[in-house]
Amino acid sequence: MLKSRRNEMLVAAVLVAPFVFIYGWMFVYPTLQMVQLSFTNAPLIGPGKWIGLDNYKRLFGDRVFGTAVWNTTYFVLLTVIPGTAVALGIALMVSRLNGWFQSLILSAFFLPFVLPITVVYLIWDWLLNLQFGIAQYIIGPIMGKPMNVWRTIPWFMPGVAIITIWWTNGFSILLFLAGLRNIPKELYEAAALDGATRWQVFTRITWPLIWPVTVLCLTIQLILQLKIFDQVYLFSLGGRTAATMVMVQYIFEQAFQKNSGGYAATVAVALFVIVIAFSVFQYQVLRIRGAR
Amino acid sequence: MIRNFMRAALLSTALLGAAGGALAQETVVWWDFLGGGDGIRMKKLIEDFNAEHSGKIEIQATTLDWGVPFYTKVQTSAAVGEGPDVMTYHASRLPLGVSQGSIAEITPDDWAAMGLSKDTFAEATWDAVNVDGKVYAVPFDTHPIVLYYNKDKLDAAGLIGADGLPAGLDGIDNFKAAMKKLQDGGTKWGISQVTADGSFAFRTIYSYLCQQDGSIGIDGAWLADDNQDKLAKAVQVIADWVKEGYNPSYTDYPSTVALFTSGESAFMINGVWEVPTMADLQAQGKLFNWGAIELPVMFNHPCTYEDSHAFAIPANAGKTPTPEKHAAVLEVIKWMSDHSLFWATAGHIPANKAVTETAEYKAMQPQASYAKLTANGVFDPKSKNAGVASPLFDAAGNAFTAAINNEVDAPTAVAEMKAALDGLQ
Repeated sequence: MLKSRRNEMLVAAVLVAPFVFIYGWMFVYPTLQMVQLSFTNAPLIGPGKWIGLDNYKRLFGDRVFGTAVWNTTYFVLLTVIPGTAVALGIALMVSRLNGWFQSLILSAFFLPFVLPITVVYLIWDWLLNLQFGIAQYIIGPIMGKPMNVWRTIPWFMPGVAIITIWWTNGFSILLFLAGLRNIPKELYEAAALDGATRWQVFTRITWPLIWPVTVLCLTIQLILQLKIFDQVYLFSLGGRTAATMVMVQYIFEQAFQKNSGGYAATVAVALFVIVIAFSVFQYQVLRIRGAR
Repeated sequence: MIRNFMRAALLSTALLGAAGGALAQETVVWWDFLGGGDGIRMKKLIEDFNAEHSGKIEIQATTLDWGVPFYTKVQTSAAVGEGPDVMTYHASRLPLGVSQGSIAEITPDDWAAMGLSKDTFAEATWDAVNVDGKVYAVPFDTHPIVLYYNKDKLDAAGLIGADGLPAGLDGIDNFKAAMKKLQDGGTKWGISQVTADGSFAFRTIYSYLCQQDGSIGIDGAWLADDNQDKLAKAVQVIADWVKEGYNPSYTDYPSTVALFTSGESAFMINGVWEVPTMADLQAQGKLFNWGAIELPVMFNHPCTYEDSHAFAIPANAGKTPTPEKHAAVLEVIKWMSDHSLFWATAGHIPANKAVTETAEYKAMQPQASYAKLTANGVFDPKSKNAGVASPLFDAAGNAFTAAINNEVDAPTAVAEMKAALDGLQ
């Protein structure tokens, strides 16, 4: 009995060893290296001198870093919950359709998700072009004159958020649709027999049963949007980047453009801590909601 | 029998190998960042080179993304010994590469082998490839910004002089008066200068700073003395154009070109690399008569921003090129320099003075009319924080984008820029 348990332990150890090795080598080790780098003044290439907590002191006085943290948080607020809500709404509507028409509408909503970000950027940059963009025929009359959306600081984050929702929504819609199809038809039939209203059906049947999918969508979106980079980088190129900075972009700028690997690592450590804090917070909130 | 056969096979393989070695052609791995109209012309030059050196040297070229991605890639790949054999490099970005030890020096022996020297190039261009007393690249061209003009519209407004070139544009007020005349004649915009991208507008503003004998300075002494005031005055020139309705606000690069080529603006300030765009459109009969000249003098004396595309040899860590490979690389650089007349069709001014002095070049228009400005050229400050796609450009993007569109007044923007530069490590 004892011997076989030892054997089992050995087999288990052998089986997980490749994973532990690769995980330790490819993920844990570089992460530790990054933390170590954050205490040095290393450039992009090669080692640097140990400077203790100087990078962290600089971080707290860094105005652009503060802007980056705020913009990232703002972006998460603008995209995660609104994006998921929009996806749920569209999925509910699409699920009422049938046959090839449903497939057609679904693929129309899914199409943007297939595009690479560079194409998304070019499409929207053309649409919103100040001199020639077709969207200026709408913006012009409302604002009194054509506006450059990407150079009007208060418009920047909401603009990027709308495009991001447009771009990534297809995936969430797909998840919701799969969730909706898993709800047994009998429940709806029973509700109909009992004379439940549409709103009651949604709040008492659909919403509770779709909740696990909602949690999944929110989690995926949160992780994705905290790492926002491409869209913001592309739309702010050459402009007032210090005002529209987000965290990953700041890491990129410090490491690759300003050649300070040590400080970039410090910003990365800060992002790491913030992501953990967000995740724990979200896990707790969703757990409370799920337990009810 | 079988053993004999094997022996024969081995012997013939060995012979083939030896023969192959004797005839081996050197492969030169080449990286560049030339993606536009000039990239097409560079591909033609590379094809010609390969055809002429068939069996001896072959260039294997890859075009990468311009700017930060390119310089990040060449630095990191050189650090691990995976860089190319030769690469294009902006002279203004050499200080960064040198500070990281990712570029090899072009030694006096190399220069002798190529038959090129200091006297081959204009003074400012030669100076730009020198860092701390050593030479790190071979200049291929100089590419300043120029003033493009719509000749038909200028003619109608009486702004073309007896020599067939624009006249009366010097001075802030004169230039505005000229734009006013053009706009009164029905042109929508006097000028299209990029206003959505302050780091692009840096080129114009830096020229106006130099026209006042000002300078950006270097690390540790950015914008010292009265340079802050001079820079603010330079910024104000464009801010006033925008405020007074001569130049559209918040307009991006492609739009400025479109405004000019569609005749909606009479002038455009842009790099010489847009010459192929105009030449190609005109060849298709889709463009008015046009020209390009040195930037008009707004302040004390002529001065224009320029940079140089140069060839640099990466210092690949742990990988010294064989003498044969090195000789092949030098041959490539030398051949390109000798054949840079064709490169001039891309708008760039060949760095090799022997090429710009040929009759063929002098007959080339508008290239020949702006080529003289290399005598008044100014390069970026020599710092690892300056040059194309550098922290300095970034600081300019932040400060100037707001200032030239009159969202922040020029002195405040310049003060913020100085603070950003002083904060660089």
